[in-house]
Amino acid sequence: MESYKQEIDITLRVNGVEYRDQVPAHMTLLQFLKEKLFLTGTKEGCGRGECGACTVIMDGRTVNSCLVLAVEADRSKIRTIEGEAKRGRLTALQKAFIDYGGTQCGFCTPGMIMSGQNLLERNQKPSRDEIVEAIAGNLCRCTGYELIIQAIEAAASKKGK
Amino acid sequence: MIMPFAYVKPGTIQEAIEALQTDNSWPLAGGTALLVDMRDGVKRPDLLVDIKGLRELDSFTIDSKKGITIGARTTLNFLVENKKLRASCPVLAEAALVTATFQLRNQATLVGNICKASPAADMAPSLYILGAQVVTTGPRGERRIPIADFMIGPQKNALKKGELVVQVEIPPPPKAKMAFLKKQRIKGHDLSVVNVAGLADTESGTLRLCVGACAETPVLLEGTDQLYKKTRDLGKLGEQIADLALSSISPIDDVRASADYRRDMVRVFVKRIVSRICS
Repeated sequence: MESYKQEIDITLRVNGVEYRDQVPAHMTLLQFLKEKLFLTGTKEGCGRGECGACTVIMDGRTVNSCLVLAVEADRSKIRTIEGEAKRGRLTALQKAFIDYGGTQCGFCTPGMIMSGQNLLERNQKPSRDEIVEAIAGNLCRCTGYELIIQAIEAAASKKGK
Repeated sequence: MIMPFAYVKPGTIQEAIEALQTDNSWPLAGGTALLVDMRDGVKRPDLLVDIKGLRELDSFTIDSKKGITIGARTTLNFLVENKKLRASCPVLAEAALVTATFQLRNQATLVGNICKASPAADMAPSLYILGAQVVTTGPRGERRIPIADFMIGPQKNALKKGELVVQVEIPPPPKAKMAFLKKQRIKGHDLSVVNVAGLADTESGTLRLCVGACAETPVLLEGTDQLYKKTRDLGKLGEQIADLALSSISPIDDVRASADYRRDMVRVFVKRIVSRICS
């Protein structure tokens, strides 16, 4: 056991910025983002992969950051909600969430935006069913989903309100 | 809160086997089940051996003569998105698509699903009807274990100390109709209350059905071929197979459903799948 370490050096890029750190093996990517980098936009809901509030994009794919260890993210590229707006300019999807009322209490919103954005980057013209499937891992207890789906549809067709 | 542990990401199978001989060590692939168990304190490993650095676990091949191999690193979304697999063995892609959520499927692996050995494992029934084998390696070399001997009980698999799964091998799938159906409590993602996979090949008179979440392991029904050859009427065949299924399972009451409800749903889902694949 002595030869196996509990503290591991990692290097990763988060929203285009490179970070090097030493982390305990049991630290999740979510904890690393919030507690080490102070990127608090990503939320912890259930902590067990059910709710999707902690969704971030890792090497182009959405993951539940509560179920990824920080050491597993070594040498990866991470995108979080903080990296979406560039120089204060919101993305089309963020604007659509505001225009359509796709956000209420806001807790699920960062995860919803990451799942929605990832969908739009994989599939520029998603059907309603494809949108529903893409956000099925993101629970929202306020909106009833309809306005979120409309917001993603609007962003896909670049339709403002 | 996850308790502290040590972590290693070996670059070779040999190093992985060595690390896995450490007391209380666990292999880590997708981690979508393991990390939840660790968070709940159900598992408290001293060492996690991350197998995502092992290229030998990457295999994914489809060959009309040799069959299909799915390496231990293959994620469920890879199976969903692979066009060749959809064409040659759609039931696996179909099952993967209704397992967990999009984010989880980006991490979760088919091999992890069967190693966890939940009786409700959604990838398992399809592997049973396809006659899959699990290829393992370890301190004593390679083993080939039929899927039914690999999943030996709730949360129990046949791996011995120091062993890990390299890949799952599936013999060339017959040109048969296949389907996977799952009963869950809600429309979104949920573990199965009952799941059923079926395969029917009219030419050879083969009918295979496997029922999950209704016994300690998935149950591959025995005697289905005879009924299939004997009974022409689809409705009657469905009833007979459902009777056979009910006499083969031993469901329990749990948080997701009662044993009685499971029995009722097995009848419904077996009949539904028979009418779908035998017509």
